[in-house]
Amino acid sequence: MPCVNTRAFFSKTGRAKYISAIDLNNCVLRAVRRSRLPVWKTEGFNPHTYVAFVLPLSLGHEGEREAMDFRLLEDIPYDEVADRLNDALPPDIRVISVSVPIHKNADIAAAEYRIETDIDKERLAGFAALNEIPVEKKTKKGIAILDLKPLIYKLEISERSFSVRLPAGNELTINPALLLDAYQKHYGLSPSPARIVRTRIFCADGEEFC
Amino acid sequence: MYQNVEMMNKLDEFLTEVRKPASYIGGEVGAVTKDKSTVDVRFAFCFPDTYEIGMSHLGMKILYGLKNNVPNYWCERVFMPLPDMEEQMRLRGIPLYALESLDPIKEFDFIGFTVQYEMCYTTILEMLDLAGLPVLSSERRELTPIVMAGGPCVCNAEPLADFIDLFAVGEGEEMNLELMRLMEQCKTEKCSKNEFLKRAAQIEGIYVPSLYDVSYNEDGTIKEIVPKDGAPSSVKKRIVPDFDKAYAPDSFVVPFTSIVHDRAVVEVLRGCIRGCRFCQAGYIYRPFRERKKSTILESTKALCESTGYDEVSLSSLSTSDYKDIEGLLGELTDYTTAEGINLSLPSLRVDRFSDEVLKKISDVRRSGLTFAPEAGTQRLRDVINKNVTEQNVLDSVKIAFEGGYTNIKLYFMLGLPTETVEDVEGIYNLARRVIDQYYANPNRKKGKPPSVSISLSTFIPKPFTPFEFEPQADEETIRERQKHLMSLINDKKITVSRSKYPISLLEAVLARGDRRVGRAVYLAWKKGCKLDGWDEYFDFEKWREAFNECGLDMSFYANRKRSFDEIAPWSHINMLVSHDFLVRENRLAHEGICTPNCREKCSDCGVIQNVGGECCRALR
Repeated sequence: MPCVNTRAFFSKTGRAKYISAIDLNNCVLRAVRRSRLPVWKTEGFNPHTYVAFVLPLSLGHEGEREAMDFRLLEDIPYDEVADRLNDALPPDIRVISVSVPIHKNADIAAAEYRIETDIDKERLAGFAALNEIPVEKKTKKGIAILDLKPLIYKLEISERSFSVRLPAGNELTINPALLLDAYQKHYGLSPSPARIVRTRIFCADGEEFC
Repeated sequence: MYQNVEMMNKLDEFLTEVRKPASYIGGEVGAVTKDKSTVDVRFAFCFPDTYEIGMSHLGMKILYGLKNNVPNYWCERVFMPLPDMEEQMRLRGIPLYALESLDPIKEFDFIGFTVQYEMCYTTILEMLDLAGLPVLSSERRELTPIVMAGGPCVCNAEPLADFIDLFAVGEGEEMNLELMRLMEQCKTEKCSKNEFLKRAAQIEGIYVPSLYDVSYNEDGTIKEIVPKDGAPSSVKKRIVPDFDKAYAPDSFVVPFTSIVHDRAVVEVLRGCIRGCRFCQAGYIYRPFRERKKSTILESTKALCESTGYDEVSLSSLSTSDYKDIEGLLGELTDYTTAEGINLSLPSLRVDRFSDEVLKKISDVRRSGLTFAPEAGTQRLRDVINKNVTEQNVLDSVKIAFEGGYTNIKLYFMLGLPTETVEDVEGIYNLARRVIDQYYANPNRKKGKPPSVSISLSTFIPKPFTPFEFEPQADEETIRERQKHLMSLINDKKITVSRSKYPISLLEAVLARGDRRVGRAVYLAWKKGCKLDGWDEYFDFEKWREAFNECGLDMSFYANRKRSFDEIAPWSHINMLVSHDFLVRENRLAHEGICTPNCREKCSDCGVIQNVGGECCRALR
């Protein structure tokens, strides 16, 4: 019996941004069952369909190109896999493409985000040019002070949004809300609603995760 | 498909700050959206509790599917937001909205509440208020929205009479559609609200409280209930003519967040043959009817396939009374085992808990088992017509222990009519014997002690039961009996949990209350009561103040023995069981005489006279 490692890229937008990481797991498992795709199950005392999410997304953030892995027990054309999943998924979660996994989870090192909010282009540029950007980050041991400056890998500012590449993965993940928060605090601005969209995931060598 | 974008944008501003945001946005698989321009009648189906509770309710899923099957009707779901969400909504001027369209429900044609328990009355008021509507029916003068309510509590709807325009008594499948058709017509004719209500009152099962005048005697009891404007003198509970063919949902809305019963649910039978004298459900859901095996199997398959659930549960008042339960489970487990689906069977009766049934369900994950002997001695079990003997319980427990179960939960009630200290002690003795039964099993697992949890609730007399005439035991009596039982227990393997008296008292008052009680409900709500069924939000002091302020005595409603010829607040409602039958059963209870179950012998409860012999399937 074939057991093919398979990776599906999907978007999680609109209302689906309120589905937490745990609930997303449940939601996708049910969709897999509805799709009746032959997905490998764990072989323990309570066999369950196995789907692994590559990089969890914060509650409230949208994702344009998220990834999940599972194993297929039959050879099925990838287009068909995508279609059958899309028929079964809620409207705000869409499979974009299905492929053979190239990278491993551990290869992930960064992610790019688009942040749509009211920004002052010059102020943001000035903020990014600071020598250091100390922020408080919650860790398992408590609150630590962290310098964001060297962690901003890339920053592009446009009219009503900016895009930023930050560390993500097993080693360190920086939530873009942390950056936005630091920017607002620096200028004494009150928090304004922001749409945060994770657009792409990258490996350490700068190649896009695929 | 339509969605209120403006509302979504408003919600996006703060939803990540509240708990469980996924329960406020809809968009789930199975949620029905429509093109608003093709819809003629809109129905906001409200469950007066939180999303996680309401989404577990089967009745809502049935009526939701049924109404949405009509192309130009759109039924949407509405739940009570948790306090943190409600606070945000009020702060930001967001009115209560429906989950499918995100449109405010005050724009709908119907706002329909399902009233599953008395403790949700203030939540109904809170939801109406959050919707931006006056809570009093008399202050809502337009044709729409019509505020209606159904569910078991509306068999005595009087405490809600001031707030609700009309009640749907009985099974809603046909009534709801008939009301929506009437609305379609009245909207075209531009009828007044009163005209609509007058016409609605002509539909069998519809009770329009404003069309009845109630007068009182000096002692506070009811003198007369007089209908007007052509309303029927007695409103007869509606039932579906052919239960096997009645609509059963083939899909559910599958929630994003966890809910209390997160699984497929298939209804196997309606009504109950048992006639336990304290149990309102056992009387108001008569006649007894079963679905065919093939129908149940079809529903199970359709539901599991459309939802992706890997757990299915059979729903009824007493699933083991399904005539061919072994055959049904055989066919069902063939399917569920092949598909890797868990089958769970709540509501099994002790005395039909055979080896075979246990084996079928023990393939399912095992943890604990629950039995409900309800009373501690045989004498008292005979009084309440719980036809279960101590030997039945012990035999079943023995099978359960042999099957590897170690936790047994036993449900009892305190304050049952004729209860004495011996009956209370009987509870302890039964728990003791259950433990002994465990050690009598030579193959028991060593090193893992059994545990018995006793759950003690307080008996609440309910309308349309033989105990509707009985007083509820007062607080002192209940406390004494709880204390006495606790003093007997010196074994760590037996634990006891008790219900709080004030909540049982209030439930008793609301269950048998008259129209005047509505004033207290209103005042309690004004003082901030809502979600009273939740321990953390229930505030009895506010309720006490509310009753004091309107000069009503809770004990008049809860703790008073009512005579057989007193006019009950619900006497103009016909739930198909006759008053004579209830009186007869009450007398038998006091003599300690059991009534055979409906399958053994028809007890002439009145259902057949009301709806014809074909309807009741207990004897067939």
